[in-house]
Amino acid sequence: MWDNFPTLLSGLSGSLQITGLALLFGLLIGLLVAPLRMSSRPWLSAPAGVYINVFRNTPPLVQLFWFFYAFPILFDVSFRPFEAAVVTLSLQSSAFFAEVFRAGIQSIERGQWEASKAIGMGYFTMMRRIILPQAVKRMVLAFFERAIELFKTTTLVSTIAFADLLYQATVVTSQTFRPLEVYTVVAAMYILIITAASLGVRRYEMRLARADA
Amino acid sequence: MTLSDPTNDQPPAADRAPRGASGPAARANGAPVLKLEGIHKSFGGSEVLKGIDLEVAAGETVVIIGASGSGKSTLLRCINFLELPDAGRVYLKGESVGTTVSTRRGERLVFKEQELNAMRRHVGMVFQSFNLFPHMTVVQNVMEGLVSVLRLKRDEARTRALRHLEAVGLAEKTEQYPSRLSGGQQQRVAIARALAMEPDVMLFDEATSALDPELVGEVLQVMRDLSLGGMTMVVVTHEMGFAYAAADRVIFIHQGQIHEQGTPEEILKHPKQERTKAFLRGLDHI
Amino acid sequence: MGYQFDFTVLQPYLPTFGRGLLVTFQLAGVCLLLGFTAGLLLALLRSSRIAPLVWPSAVFIEIFRNAPVLVQLVWFYYAFPVLIGATMSAFAAAVLALSLNTAAFSAELFRGGIQSIHRGQWEAGRALGMSNLTLMRRIILPQAIKRMIPPLTNRAIELTKMTALASTIAVPELLYQGRLINAVTFRPIESYTVVAVIYLIILWAGTILVNRLERRLGESD
Repeated sequence: MWDNFPTLLSGLSGSLQITGLALLFGLLIGLLVAPLRMSSRPWLSAPAGVYINVFRNTPPLVQLFWFFYAFPILFDVSFRPFEAAVVTLSLQSSAFFAEVFRAGIQSIERGQWEASKAIGMGYFTMMRRIILPQAVKRMVLAFFERAIELFKTTTLVSTIAFADLLYQATVVTSQTFRPLEVYTVVAAMYILIITAASLGVRRYEMRLARADA
Repeated sequence: MTLSDPTNDQPPAADRAPRGASGPAARANGAPVLKLEGIHKSFGGSEVLKGIDLEVAAGETVVIIGASGSGKSTLLRCINFLELPDAGRVYLKGESVGTTVSTRRGERLVFKEQELNAMRRHVGMVFQSFNLFPHMTVVQNVMEGLVSVLRLKRDEARTRALRHLEAVGLAEKTEQYPSRLSGGQQQRVAIARALAMEPDVMLFDEATSALDPELVGEVLQVMRDLSLGGMTMVVVTHEMGFAYAAADRVIFIHQGQIHEQGTPEEILKHPKQERTKAFLRGLDHI
Repeated sequence: MGYQFDFTVLQPYLPTFGRGLLVTFQLAGVCLLLGFTAGLLLALLRSSRIAPLVWPSAVFIEIFRNAPVLVQLVWFYYAFPVLIGATMSAFAAAVLALSLNTAAFSAELFRGGIQSIHRGQWEAGRALGMSNLTLMRRIILPQAIKRMIPPLTNRAIELTKMTALASTIAVPELLYQGRLINAVTFRPIESYTVVAVIYLIILWAGTILVNRLERRLGESD
C-alpha cells in the first residue's frame, strides 16, 4: 500500500498546481470584472452581472464538461485536461472573486466616501488612500476561504482524467483492489490539509476581529 | 434625578398606614417572604458580593441603591438564581433553595435546575431591557408563562392575562406585537407578564433605566400602585423620587456589602455614613 | 467559428432530460430533509453542556465540512460497502454522502442562529420558571428559525449544484442524462449547453427567490 504513496503525492502536486494557477488567473480576471459590475453604465454592468451569475448558478462539473467537450469543438481548439481544468476553475473563481471584491468595497460605509469627497479627493485617490485599504482587509479573509473552496473543487478534474489526487486514488485502487484503504487514506489527506488551512484562516479571522475592536 | 419628581405627591412611606395585611404573601408562620444569608458571588477573580444578609417581610417594598458595579443587580439576580451564589443561603417563604455540599475547597451550594424552575414561578422579575418575546402578541406574552409553566388552560390563561393587562392600562393593545409599542408600554407588558404568574415577590432590575425620560413616569406609577396594593417588592433603581415615595426600606450597597439601610427618610434625607452621603451628592449633579 | 448549432437533434431526448431533472429534484429533496434534520440534531449536540457529546459532534462536523464532496461521494460508493460488507446502490451512496455533508454545514448554521438570539430572551423565559426544553421550543427556536431561513435556502441551492457530482457514480440525474445523450448524438455542445441552461434557470430562479425572501424577512424584524 505504501509503495503507491508517491503516486498519490504526484496527484496531490497536480491538485495544488491547478489550485495555484486558477487562484492567480481567477483573481486577475475577477479584479477586471468587478469594476464592470459596479459601473453605473448598464451596458457594462449587465453583461458582467450575467457572467457572474452564470458561473455562480451552474454546477462546476457542468462547466468543466462544457469547457472540455463542447468548447474545443465550438472554437476549433484542442484542450488537454490540464488546460480545460485551469480555464474552467479560473473563470469560476473569477466570478466569486468579483463578488467578493464588490461586496468588500460596498461594505465600506457611505460616510467614508462622503468625507473623502468633501475634502475634494478625486475618485482614484479616494479608492487608493481611503476605500481600498479598508476593504482589502475584509477581502483577504474571503480570498482565503475561496482558496480553500477552490482546492476542494479541484477534485472534479479527476472526472476528465487529469492526474490529481482523487484520480490517482482511482488508479491505485484499480491496481491494488483495496478501495477502502486507498480512498480512506486519500480522504484523510484532503481532510487534514483543508482542516489545517481552515484553522489557519479562522485564526487570521480572530486576529482581524481583535484589531478592529 | 433628585427628590422632586411627579411621583413624589404622597407622604413618605413611613407616615402611611401599615400595608401588607392583604398582601399576596401571607405570613402564615411569621417567617419573612425572602431571606438571604451570607450571599457571596464572584465573577472570574473578583468578588462582587461579599456577604449579604437581607430579610424582606410580606408586603414590604425594599429599594436598593448604589453605584454601578456595586453589586446591586447581581444581588437581585441571585434572588431568582439567574446568578448562582457561590456561598450563602436563599430562603423563599421559609424554604431554603439549593443544597450545600462539602468539597475539597470548602462548602459549596449546588442547585438542581428543576428546583430552581419551580422556585422561579413564585418570583417575578422585570428586566431593564424588557425582554418581551417579539414573536408573540402582547396578550400571548402575558399568557406564555401561564400556559407553558403553570399549565393553565388557554381560556383561563387568557382571562387572567387580560385582567392583568387591564390593570397596567394596556387593555387596547392586547393583540399588537411588542415592536409597535413604546418603551413604557413594553415595560408595562413585562410587568403584567410577571404579575400574571401571581408571584410572592416581584424583582425590578433598573426597570426604568432604558426608558426615554417622558416614559419613565407611567412605569413608576404602575410600580407605585403595586407597592401600595401590598406586593412584596425588591427594586433596584436610580429613581430616588420613587424610592422616597414608595419604599418601606432603602438599602445602600457599596462594593458588594450593605453599607447602610433604613427608612427612606433616614437614608435619603439624613444619611449617616460618608459614602452614602457622597453617593447621594453625586446624584444631585445629574 | 464555423459550427452549426443544431438543437433539434436533442428533441427526441427531451423526456430523458426530464427524467434526469426529476432524479435531481428527488436527490436534492431527500438530502435536504435528512441533512437539515441531522444538522439540527448535530447543532444541539454540539452546543450541549455534556462534554462527551460535544467533541464527537464537533469532529464529525469538521470532517464532513472539510472533505471535498466528490471525495465523500466516491468514498461512500466504493469504500463504505467494503467496510460494512454489503452492496450499495449509487442513489443510496449519493444520499448518504450529500445528506451528511448538508448536515455538517447546516449544523453550524443552526448553532449560529440559536446563538444570535439575545440573552435577555433566555433570562426572561427562565425568570418565568421555564425548563430549558420549553424555553427552546416556545421562545428561542421560533425566533432563531426565522433568521436561519436565508442561509438555509442558500444551502439548498448549493446542494442542488452538488447533485451534479452524483453523475460520476452513475446516479441518473440531469448531468448523467446529458452525458448519455452526448454519447448517443455526438453533439457535446448542444447536450451540455442544454444541461447548463436548465441548471442555470433553476438555480438563478432559486437565488432570486432567496433574495426576495431575505428582504421580506428583514422587514418584519
